Amino acid sequence: MSAIDTAPAPVLRSFLRLVGWSGLGLIAVAVTLSDFLAPAPAGASGLGPLLAAPSTLHPFGTDLLGRDVLSETLHGLSVTVGRALLASAVAIAVGGLFGAVAARLPRAAGATLRAAMGVFAAIPALLLALLAIGLTARLYAPLAAGLAAAPLAFVRTHDRVAAQRRSAHAEYARAMGIAAATLLRRDLIYEFRDTFATVAARALAAVTIILSTVSFLGFGATPPARDLGLMIAAAKTSYLYAWWAAAFPALALVVLILCARLAAGLEEGERP
Amino acid sequence: MSDVRRILEIAELTVAKPGGGAPELDRFSLTLDAGESVVVLGETGSGKEALVRVLGGFADRTDQIAGTIRFGDGEARPAAKRPRAPIRIAYLPKPSPRSFVPHVGVLGQLTRVVARKLGSPLASAGEELRLALERLEGAPAPALLNVKPRLLDPVCMAWGLLACACAQTPDLVLADHALADLGPKAVRTLLAVLAAEQKRLGFALLYATGGLQPAARLGGRVVVIRRGRIVEEGDAARLASGHAHGYTQTLYKAIPRLSLAESKGRAAARGQPLLQVFGLDLVATGRREGITFELRRGASLALVGEEGSGRRELVRAVLGLARAPAGRVVFDAVDLNILSQAMASRLRRRVAFITGADDALDPRMTLWDTVDEPLRAHLKLPRDLVAGYREAALKRVGLASHDGRRTVASLGAFDKRRLQVARAIVAAPLLAVVDEPLRGLDAFAQTIMREVLTDFRAQQDSAFLVVTSDFTVAQALADEAMVFKDKKLVERGLIVDILRSPKDPHTSGLIEAVTLPGLSQNPPPV
Amino acid sequence: MLEFAARQAGRFALGLVGAAVLATAISTIASPRAPGLAPFLEAAARRLWAFVHLDFGRSAISGLTAVDVLGLRLPATLELVLAGGAVALIVGTPLGLLLAAGPVRRAAAPLMQIVTAAPVFCAGLALAYGAAHLLHWPLEVNTAVATAAPIFSRDMPALKLAALPVLTVGFAGAAAVQLALRRVTAEAAGEAFRSGLKRLGLSALEIEWVYAVPQVIAGLLASAGEIMLALLSAAVVAEWVFHRSGAADLFVKSVALQDWNMTALILFIFAGLAFAADFLGRVGAYALANEGKS
Repeated sequence: MSAIDTAPAPVLRSFLRLVGWSGLGLIAVAVTLSDFLAPAPAGASGLGPLLAAPSTLHPFGTDLLGRDVLSETLHGLSVTVGRALLASAVAIAVGGLFGAVAARLPRAAGATLRAAMGVFAAIPALLLALLAIGLTARLYAPLAAGLAAAPLAFVRTHDRVAAQRRSAHAEYARAMGIAAATLLRRDLIYEFRDTFATVAARALAAVTIILSTVSFLGFGATPPARDLGLMIAAAKTSYLYAWWAAAFPALALVVLILCARLAAGLEEGERP
Repeated sequence: MSDVRRILEIAELTVAKPGGGAPELDRFSLTLDAGESVVVLGETGSGKEALVRVLGGFADRTDQIAGTIRFGDGEARPAAKRPRAPIRIAYLPKPSPRSFVPHVGVLGQLTRVVARKLGSPLASAGEELRLALERLEGAPAPALLNVKPRLLDPVCMAWGLLACACAQTPDLVLADHALADLGPKAVRTLLAVLAAEQKRLGFALLYATGGLQPAARLGGRVVVIRRGRIVEEGDAARLASGHAHGYTQTLYKAIPRLSLAESKGRAAARGQPLLQVFGLDLVATGRREGITFELRRGASLALVGEEGSGRRELVRAVLGLARAPAGRVVFDAVDLNILSQAMASRLRRRVAFITGADDALDPRMTLWDTVDEPLRAHLKLPRDLVAGYREAALKRVGLASHDGRRTVASLGAFDKRRLQVARAIVAAPLLAVVDEPLRGLDAFAQTIMREVLTDFRAQQDSAFLVVTSDFTVAQALADEAMVFKDKKLVERGLIVDILRSPKDPHTSGLIEAVTLPGLSQNPPPV
Repeated sequence: MLEFAARQAGRFALGLVGAAVLATAISTIASPRAPGLAPFLEAAARRLWAFVHLDFGRSAISGLTAVDVLGLRLPATLELVLAGGAVALIVGTPLGLLLAAGPVRRAAAPLMQIVTAAPVFCAGLALAYGAAHLLHWPLEVNTAVATAAPIFSRDMPALKLAALPVLTVGFAGAAAVQLALRRVTAEAAGEAFRSGLKRLGLSALEIEWVYAVPQVIAGLLASAGEIMLALLSAAVVAEWVFHRSGAADLFVKSVALQDWNMTALILFIFAGLAFAADFLGRVGAYALANEGKS
């Protein structure tokens, strides 16, 4: 067999996308209804014995302060999702849109921007996010995570659109007097209208990882608003003998990222 | 013929795709002797592809094959068993950069092929290939082939492939549309060399093609095939003479011929100047002997020359896409080079392109959006009016039955080509630039494309600037011509005058390249 | 070849200059100056000048020069990244090839999505849990003082301590390696030259071996920068989770304590590492898959 086809069968592909989007839908429902679904309000401590194993009363057990892990996980999930949505909006706007526009700027300006973004893209996004938070305040963690994820998106979109701009059909269009603004609008449409859901889901997965890691390192959410990363960080001291306090938030986090990735249609990013 | 070695005997060969439908090739039988040549002539999808596939030993796994093949002195074996040929078969494909590894020189890859086929070490295979190239009259030096495929010009690549086939000292050469995309003059030279090599090496030649030029030039037998069946088989000269099957006759009638009769000419030739070019230089020579010409409204001019002769550079300079080293271009009474971007693009709205390059259309756009583009970009028209123009244009090029929401990427080369014409029709341009419009199409599509273009020219009063290497195309679409060689203008004048008495030997070469032996005496089509 | 290498070297140098400018901008925050843009630019210029002369300022926490502090911490991180990179190649290469070309390739993409959905810190914690409960290894997850057990030693307890962070970094790197491999294999598989050369008469094995394999290796090399990024960010998390005192851990603490000179230097070093990996990878890829004259 000479040709290797690595893509999954189309049926499987669309099925997995469907799974991803339904998962995200369920998560959205759980997040909006978290106040009703959770047995206890956010941060309510002393609800049971400290570090109680999962039982019928506390299905996910309790943590160091006697908080119900199920309720906390739901509340944490809603905090994480809200912040991740904000961050991915920033990442798409700064990275994607700006990248597409920069590719159509006059050559010198575009190249300078591309080079500057290239420098940022060579620094791990996690460090960039940490730095941005350190320079401002923890409050801006979602913005920082979005900005940190932006350079890579910028570089990718820029290079793709720049290739379009250099393409033969774009040259013919210019030769026939089609305005540059029309061509830019067309590139934006084809880059984003048809693929917006995919781009958004992929960005969601990327920023969720950054945000939760940042929180885990203590730079993200501040109590009482605890997100999943912070919950896992807090449970770290006891998780070797009381696994539930860390395992369930981690599971929620993994499911969120997995659903976002499946919804993005198994796209794992192209070559930079 | 008993003393001649039989090379190939195909009996009742049937090739079908799974899932029913008509077979691609239906009970096809053919014999071929050493030194003999057969041209298999048919349109795309006529079954010649399946024939080459089976003979070359690279049939698809899903192909359902019946019938027998006998190679050389061997036994007749079922074709489905993929018998290993006891004779040497050389494959001569169409020169395409895509069939080579992009990052390695072409020469090295061809050497490896020769080594593999001859079972010899690379060094001696390289020597064989070099000798074969030197034997071919007019072939480029081996060093010229040692570049990456993308940078190699198709004619050079064709020479390399031909040398590679000859170096294998084959018993049978399978030419698979081998010269389809080249200019007529290159095709003529390469076919002559192929015929000479065949005489020298004595191989049998099976030439699958959609064009009539090989059939007319190679002589020998011609097998006309349609929908998997043989329509007719016979001597090339007889088929051309008109005593042939109806289908064959229509094929031969459609062959473009040069006409020496005075063309009617269009009255518009005395219109206002649309395009004036003063002293344009294509190469920075420093001498002041650039090209000066004028194109009036509704007039037509062909720039004739081979690939790389400077026609395209001239067009690019004329349209302000690239700056020529020297000279001035005035379009519609305005100097393009002094205009601002916005003003220049306003002028360019009156220019339309039709090119033989398949990447001239945005592959992401739909069919309808592509045709609408000139209207939407420049005018504010109600939706139904736009749809009306679009429908009319699509009907005229024969694309009206296609689903308009299909993307351009999903269209074939011929459909893309016609779509370009539809877009040009909608744009109602002052100047239509037509650049090698027939490149890469088979003879049947070429015929229709010619009709579409002449219809376009007849209906609109646009001026035409035609870039081509084929004088028949030039004559069909233009009245005057300028002939280029090596970035220099060698001859200009009315096409009829040039055809009657070419002054430059290069021009006569170009004319001879499209004058097919035994056909040109036929009366010109109406 | 030389021209390509020179161009890449230019890019590399430009990247370093960019990283240096970024680093000086960060460290300028720490330097005393009057408010406003002009004093900031002036201070930044002074910092850049010092930077060029390899004066990276002093750490605000320890009072030592930033270079000295980093000299103590960086070797541990480099060891971690190096060992992690080795694990990444050992695990990621066969995995990538198997998933790209093996019989399971159609299921590979969803499978890898599931496996790599866990953030590195979750994976690290899970590894630690497994090691503690299944293998009964000593752990440094919750010790009070951060230490750095040497990775390249013959001491068994130290090796056990070092194994988990190395594995964490290695697995994160392996995910990047297999992704790059699968991508480049898919690209190489789509090439028309396979059928083109096969028709001309080359055998499938010959095409794969002579042309496709160098292309795949070159593709992997060209992704070296990306793989380095994955390793570095995994190192940050691994050092934090496993309480190793390395440069990455120092970075987190410096940001938290607003020690900007230190932050700037570490950022510069990390960016430099990524740029260097990218440069070497690209030149290697070119040498491997672009030997034809252009």
